[in-house]
Amino acid sequence: MKNIIFFILIIACGISVNGQNEVNQPLRIIAIGAHPDDLDQQMGGTAALFSEMGHHVKFVSVTNGDAGHFNKGGGHLAKIRRAEAAEAAKRLGIDAYTVLDNHDGELLPTLTVRHQIIREIRNWNADIVITHRPVDYHPDHRYTGIIVQDAAYLVIVPNITPDTPPLKKNPVFLYLEDDFQKPYPFQPDIAVDITDVFDKKISAHDAHKSQMYEWLPWVNKQLANVPEQSDKKLEWLKENWTLPITPKVRQSLIKWYGKKKGEKILHAEAFEICEYGRQPSKKEILQLFPMLNLKE
Amino acid sequence: MKKTILLIGFIFIGLSMSGQDKENKVLNIIAIGAHPDDCDSKFGGTAALFAKMGHNVKFLALTSGDAGHQSMGGGVLAKRRRTEAKNAAEILGIEYEVLDNHDGELLPTLNVRHQVIRRIREWNADIVLLLRSNDYHPDHRNAGIVVQDAAYLVIVPNVTPDTPPLKKNPVFLYMKDNFQKPNPFSNDIAIIIDKVYDQKIAALAAHESQMFEWGPWTNGIKESEVPNGEKERLAWLKLHSGKKNFEQIEMDAIKKWYPNEEPIDVEHAEFLEICEYGKQPTEQEIKELFPMLGNL
Repeated sequence: MKNIIFFILIIACGISVNGQNEVNQPLRIIAIGAHPDDLDQQMGGTAALFSEMGHHVKFVSVTNGDAGHFNKGGGHLAKIRRAEAAEAAKRLGIDAYTVLDNHDGELLPTLTVRHQIIREIRNWNADIVITHRPVDYHPDHRYTGIIVQDAAYLVIVPNITPDTPPLKKNPVFLYLEDDFQKPYPFQPDIAVDITDVFDKKISAHDAHKSQMYEWLPWVNKQLANVPEQSDKKLEWLKENWTLPITPKVRQSLIKWYGKKKGEKILHAEAFEICEYGRQPSKKEILQLFPMLNLKE
Repeated sequence: MKKTILLIGFIFIGLSMSGQDKENKVLNIIAIGAHPDDCDSKFGGTAALFAKMGHNVKFLALTSGDAGHQSMGGGVLAKRRRTEAKNAAEILGIEYEVLDNHDGELLPTLNVRHQVIRRIREWNADIVLLLRSNDYHPDHRNAGIVVQDAAYLVIVPNVTPDTPPLKKNPVFLYMKDNFQKPNPFSNDIAIIIDKVYDQKIAALAAHESQMFEWGPWTNGIKESEVPNGEKERLAWLKLHSGKKNFEQIEMDAIKKWYPNEEPIDVEHAEFLEICEYGKQPTEQEIKELFPMLGNL
């Protein structure tokens, strides 16, 4: 009898320690995109999942998006987009959405911006850093990728940007998915099932009204087709912003979730491991992405 | 008779001239890295072999290395590293120049490009060694880009006109790294360095601030684990540089250039990739540019 009680106690302790570990050591994720709304589109679901699990997510937009409209611009547009980003953050449940004041359409990989990004990563004490690949249609996306790559090693070097203490551990750096093929296509090393939070992701898109209902439809000559009613708008967003799951992403989903579940997943977001920064083992990836469920 | 003597005379002169040409053709090699110690670790053995054979080798560090330490920095560190570089050069029998660009801030600017063009021209280089433009450190990537940028321009009289252009475009060769994207390093040339390996280790050890202070710190090795005695330090460095198990593609490269050697008996080698910019050498030209190939 004594033994059994002892045994139960040990199990209980074990469980509570485990539970405590999870609660006390939340992961810290920082995602760095070029414009306010880039990250919402490419990893809004994953961010919402992290947040639901008690982890800390911050989005950083390197430019203020002040060129992303056909009849608004400058500081006026930047202010609108900053407010939209704050609203999107609320809807995703993430901790913060910082919009830096670099001009949209003019981002270059300067030392000044590199230092801004080094500070952001350090101040967030990041375990994971996510950004664009340096191949993408928009120069701001490419240079954001380059700037984050440039920061990847330097975040641990004390003599660099010495106003902000260096990280003790190099984070894992990941790329967001894109369709570009050269010099090599995106490799979905990690794929996350976002089906359960897809509505949250769409709701975050809806917060970027100047983009979703004005600028992007204008670019795509769809302005006349934007619905008036808010529920119709959400339907319309779902139709337009459901990312197709490529065969390679499907393979990755099957790898991480098993065949039975992986084949049925409706909505996913994928990430490629950057060669700069810490190179995680499979075990570490599972610790860094606790939503990945290997069981069928 | 007179004619015969004259003819014989010509033949003699011709023979002796061409003989002299081949044996006395002194090669000029310049290796360009981002920090004082980059070239030593990737090309130190080959440099020592060249120097032993009477050829001229120069290492050029594009930055002063003034960020590469956990508890020193700036001009003080730059001064220390310049001295370390001079000591390493003495051990290898080469020349070493350290430029005064800041560590961790190297960008492929025109200013740095012109510095590089001048150094390549002034060395009248037959061979230029460079880093690839994919590597973990942004300074390495930018050093690779800036030397690539110089590869054609070194022969153009209107570019950097204060320094006369080269008459012949040198061969540009990348020093080895392990990065895979967008394409892995190609082991085009292999140089066995067993004979000078101790010399290479001694040259690396001359970079005390790096090998015994900063390097261990970034790799999480405690200060107390690093030995103090000179002999012990050399042994420790050897241990940490370790005998590498060559990959099959590396063994193939060794076999190609040393057909009489068994790659399995080789302990240390350095590998180079031919850059597509600059002169494209034939196999015969490579043998002339690397007269140590084929013989230990």
